[in-house]
Amino acid sequence: MKEMAIKSKAARSAGTVRRLEGRPLSSQVMYHLMMFPGMVFLLIFSFVPMFGIIMAFQDYVPAKGILQSEFVGLKHFQYMFSLPDVGRIFTNTLMIALGKILLGTVAAIVFAILLNEIRITVMKKFVQTIVYLPHFLSWVVLAAVVVNMVNLDGPVNQFLAAVGIGKINFLGSNVWFRPLIVLTDVWKEFGYNSIVYLAAITAIDPGLHEAAAMDGATWWKRVWHITLPGMLPVILLMAAMNLTSILSAGFDQIYNLYSPMVYQTGDVLDTYVYRMGLISRQYSFSTAVGLLRSVVGMILMVSANELTKRFTDQKIF
Amino acid sequence: MKDQTKQFRRQFRSALLLGSLTAAAVWMTACGSREVKQEPEVAAEDGPFGAYQETLRCGMGRSTIANPKFPEGDTYEDNAYTRYLKNRLNVQIVDDFEANGADYDRQVSLSIAAGQLPDVLKIGSKDLLDELVENDLVADLTDAYETYASDYVKEIYDSYDGRCLDLATYDGRLMAIPGTNLDSAPSVTYIRQDWLEKTGLSIDPEGDKCITVDELELIAKTFLEQDPGGSGNPVGIAYVPYLTVDDYGSSGFALNAVASVFGAFPKVWLADENGQVFYGSTAPEMKEALGKAAEWFQEGILDPQFGTRTWDDITALLTNGQTGIAFGPWHIPDWLLNNVRGMNPEARFAAYAIADEEGKVHVTHSNASNGYMVVRKGYSNPEVLVKMVNLYFDEMVNSKTLAQDQPEVAEYIQQGVDGTARPISLEINAYTSLLDDYSDIRRCVNGEITLDEVRTSESKSVVASVNNYLADPDGAEVTDWAKYTSRMEGIDLIERLTTEEQFAWETPAFWGVTETMKTNNASLGTLEEESFVAIVTGARSLDAFDDFVAAWNEQGGSQITQEVQEAVDGKEN
Amino acid sequence: MVTKKGLRGNLGRVVIYLIVLLLGLICLLPLLNILALSFSSSDAAAANIVGFWPVKFTVAAYRKILEDGQFWRSFLISVARVAIQLALNLVLIVLMAYPLSKSEREFKGRNIYMNLLIFAMLFSGGMIPSYLVVRNLGLINTIWALVLPGAVPIFSVIMVMNFFIGVPKSLAEAAIIDGATPLQVLTKVYIPCSKPVIATIALFSIVGSWNDFFGGLIYMTKVANYPLQTYIQTLSVRLEDILNSGGSLTTLVNAMEVSKQNLNAAKIVVSVIPLLLIYPILQKYLITGIVMGSVKE
Repeated sequence: MKEMAIKSKAARSAGTVRRLEGRPLSSQVMYHLMMFPGMVFLLIFSFVPMFGIIMAFQDYVPAKGILQSEFVGLKHFQYMFSLPDVGRIFTNTLMIALGKILLGTVAAIVFAILLNEIRITVMKKFVQTIVYLPHFLSWVVLAAVVVNMVNLDGPVNQFLAAVGIGKINFLGSNVWFRPLIVLTDVWKEFGYNSIVYLAAITAIDPGLHEAAAMDGATWWKRVWHITLPGMLPVILLMAAMNLTSILSAGFDQIYNLYSPMVYQTGDVLDTYVYRMGLISRQYSFSTAVGLLRSVVGMILMVSANELTKRFTDQKIF
Repeated sequence: MKDQTKQFRRQFRSALLLGSLTAAAVWMTACGSREVKQEPEVAAEDGPFGAYQETLRCGMGRSTIANPKFPEGDTYEDNAYTRYLKNRLNVQIVDDFEANGADYDRQVSLSIAAGQLPDVLKIGSKDLLDELVENDLVADLTDAYETYASDYVKEIYDSYDGRCLDLATYDGRLMAIPGTNLDSAPSVTYIRQDWLEKTGLSIDPEGDKCITVDELELIAKTFLEQDPGGSGNPVGIAYVPYLTVDDYGSSGFALNAVASVFGAFPKVWLADENGQVFYGSTAPEMKEALGKAAEWFQEGILDPQFGTRTWDDITALLTNGQTGIAFGPWHIPDWLLNNVRGMNPEARFAAYAIADEEGKVHVTHSNASNGYMVVRKGYSNPEVLVKMVNLYFDEMVNSKTLAQDQPEVAEYIQQGVDGTARPISLEINAYTSLLDDYSDIRRCVNGEITLDEVRTSESKSVVASVNNYLADPDGAEVTDWAKYTSRMEGIDLIERLTTEEQFAWETPAFWGVTETMKTNNASLGTLEEESFVAIVTGARSLDAFDDFVAAWNEQGGSQITQEVQEAVDGKEN
Repeated sequence: MVTKKGLRGNLGRVVIYLIVLLLGLICLLPLLNILALSFSSSDAAAANIVGFWPVKFTVAAYRKILEDGQFWRSFLISVARVAIQLALNLVLIVLMAYPLSKSEREFKGRNIYMNLLIFAMLFSGGMIPSYLVVRNLGLINTIWALVLPGAVPIFSVIMVMNFFIGVPKSLAEAAIIDGATPLQVLTKVYIPCSKPVIATIALFSIVGSWNDFFGGLIYMTKVANYPLQTYIQTLSVRLEDILNSGGSLTTLVNAMEVSKQNLNAAKIVVSVIPLLLIYPILQKYLITGIVMGSVKE
């Protein structure tokens, strides 16, 4: 032990000497050099275009460019808040995003707990592979499937009619559209999201379960008192990370499923900005809304990081 | 002291960094020098078809489609039409960009933003043209048109009484070559004729091809009750969620045909007898039309899934035999109803117009142009655009010897290679060309004139198809069936209504885009669409229409009305 | 962990197995639907009557794809793009993640870099400024326009950084004592024990660049240069758009012909196959990678 310490001390001083004598680069410089290539790319492709945010404060005309377009201060932000749609759009966005976070988390946790009970390896692997798959398919593709399933002539409605509930026009109903969006998103992502929770379960000391089983605790009790508490840090952490996505309720999904009938409950920030930007080429206005979103996202991200630090002794970045 | 120096040095360094960053940013996002230099002209022979002495390079933005049907090896840049141009005028087309539909518009916006317009460019919308002219980015074509447009091309534009060229004229100067848009009214109601026969419905006994709204309702009700398609879940009448459109050319599955009976002309600007302009969608007549639709929805005649049923879904309803009623421009049999025939070999469609009690069919004139070609300011030879128009819309159309002189081009027309392959993908036709061409077809089919007397090669191929169909109506190819239905049913209806003077024409007062429209149109459009759907489905009462009108006015509509009024009054003075 | 007794005999277990199987089945349905569509006749597909089994079975759609030169050209462009993007991403991410995994004390400026990264992750200048940068660099219509703007996926950098933080310091110390430079420590010590997270970000990179279509739409001005997803995306045209933009009759007819749903489904199937091939290889690392990369203690 002592020897080693001496040795390492000697080695360390030798290193220092060597470094002093002529090693061209200190670790510090080396670290900066390692950051350099990536930062160059970020500078060119992320930071330089950020000058485009200026558009939010201009009446941007493409023909004039950013340099010569007229500055109008906060006009676009004022217009945004003068629109009667805006309150509703923020409400929709929050409701849908919150629903996805809550239900999505619960579904993923439950699935992870259930999957952990599967003992047939082949079946476990097979199911795992399949449930991750929808995550990798785009909403353009999946929306068509969802529509096929839930339209008035589709299997879901045939089932509802058969059991006497009666048909529901899910895609055209302001009562059902938001639940539909949340549920289909949960369906697409629960498998993929369960990965983290499954890992957390596997990390729990099996001894705890064995001891509890010896004491006669039922499966439910053990899930409640051992598995779930064991997963808690991860659950809190994921919840905090999800908070940052609260203003993006999923553009691709909603764009491919909504219609004017459900604008009242289904129109969200992203779809709204898209329609404004695309239909009337309102570059400045859509940049302004995008900027507002980024700012709120930033605030949430920082608070999520703080929250995680406080509750779990971990942080995201 | 030392600290200060250090701090200063640090500040200096960051200032330097910030400065160079800004410089880099400006370089990378700036759009280059805005001064436009006129490039030296390339000499050419005189006349509308004068070839260039040296090869003229012409960079273009090309609006494409996914399935242009080129023969192997041909591309948008190098095909029979571009080679024709090269051989005849010594102009070499180089594509700066090619893109489909909405992607094309995005590429145009990007090239404007980058300050690098192609030499010759097609643009779709009037407000973009306004913007280009306002910012002095496009060349003045007045002299080029006067000097180089061939007599036939000038005749075409004259057939619109200046309505077409006016749209591209700013302060008396022609800034673009507009594409022409003939009146394609009305929104034709295609009904499954075989179903009418099967159900024994006697509609239109007088045979004037006009039906009333009540008769339409009766047909829908009968189809709904008897399910002649045998699908098990029939649908009466299906409309797209946006419900109405501003042009008959795009009136597929739209309410316009029914609305016009009530005197409602949604989405267009009209003027009353006092010259007061108003927006058609907010007029009281629109309320009546919506009331009718709401009543149908209530009774189940209108698709219970209205509002969520998309265009593709409605097409599927037709192909599945769930519905047998389709609204649209005369040509839907060619590209939409042909699918119905593909699935149901016994399907036949008859074309009807919806008329009021007096037998009048109410329609509006279309905007005389639906696209423009512009030349970048500073381009060496702006007249090349006019010469290209001459080539493709005069020589190519009128040449009796095209098959010998330009066999490749003739082959393209025969094979149905897409029109976007032409560097000028607009349509430029005389105002009466639709009925002129049809008259050729009808008379040739009836044996009144010979095939040689038929004026265009397109019409000749239609004649062949119609004859094929008539020889064996049950076993005919789908394309022959389609051409027969669209012409001998669809255009025939238009010809009949024209000659019998059953059309009651309205002329929209304004087609442009005002300042407030630019900012507010998107949200006003949403408001309109959403309100109409809610009213029709009964989510809101019919009286909510008045709330809609109030909201529309408040959210910029009254401001827009005022601007339109000023624009209209200004034009008259 | 769970004994038979705890589960109240076999019944409970059977119920759990059934639920899990059911969930798996629900996730399989969309793929089945697309697969069934691709093997159905175009009429049946257009009529919306295809469920999870082909109607009027035919391989016509696949035969058509084989003949489609542009499809395969775009396929190759996508493969090349994924390969370049993957190499570039891995090198840049790992290089950045290592210094960032050091504390501010060990690496002065670490926090500034970190804040810059977070900032770049949350704010963007929008489409037009990004386009102008790419255009002024002369990258339009080159594969670099697809690759370079996404050279540094910040989320992945953070994941790898968090993973590196979790690597026991003792492993590196021996190497440092032997006089290894940071770069050598990274390549000799950190990278070999970071397989899971590297596989994970590799999968992200592959899936992301394979599935992206928007870059192709903006930066490629000719169909001949489109990557596969862009090509597929432009095939599913909305007819009413053509109609509303005043498209001519032939254009409508020709567009209708290509927007066959069975053909599109077949193209989707073929385009998903490469992902399905790569996915199982990397899947076993996915769990460790995501979990260890998510947080730092």
